[in-house]
Amino acid sequence: MAETILNLAVIIIMIAIGLGIYRLVRGPTVVDRVIALDLLTLIAIALITMIALVTSRFIYVDVALVYGLLSFLSVLAVARYLERGL
Amino acid sequence: MTMMTLLTLVLCIGILISALLATYLERRVAAVISAGLVGLFASVTYVILSAPDVAMTEAAIGSGITTVIFLFALSKTKEQPDE
Repeated sequence: MAETILNLAVIIIMIAIGLGIYRLVRGPTVVDRVIALDLLTLIAIALITMIALVTSRFIYVDVALVYGLLSFLSVLAVARYLERGL
Repeated sequence: MTMMTLLTLVLCIGILISALLATYLERRVAAVISAGLVGLFASVTYVILSAPDVAMTEAAIGSGITTVIFLFALSKTKEQPDE
């Protein structure tokens, strides 16, 4: 039962990755691609946590923690570059 | 276990699409964003391949610092005007 739910969650996360890549490819402006970067970073954090649950190795949660601490940096740098040029 | 294989396939397709976009996009800022996404998908692939220390380093260096350094270099070179 729990394995079925985890497999379903992994399938939903794969669909979300596909939608984020669609926005990255189709996005007409740079701002759309920044939004796609932020979305895919958030999906990656959820996916790493899901892999830690599936494989029962909780050292992987530290990777998600580092990602969550550093994910704002690139989006902030791109936003500042688009406004004034870093 | 076959679900992890399918997930690895999706992530490798994501790496391929991001690398092609980083090559073919016209705006340089969008190319830098796509090059950062290559590091992001590669980091998740390292986690699936059970190398969490490599994934942590890739998350810090490849996806965080490289984008900032590329944008800093782009702001120093002003040959094509931004929109």
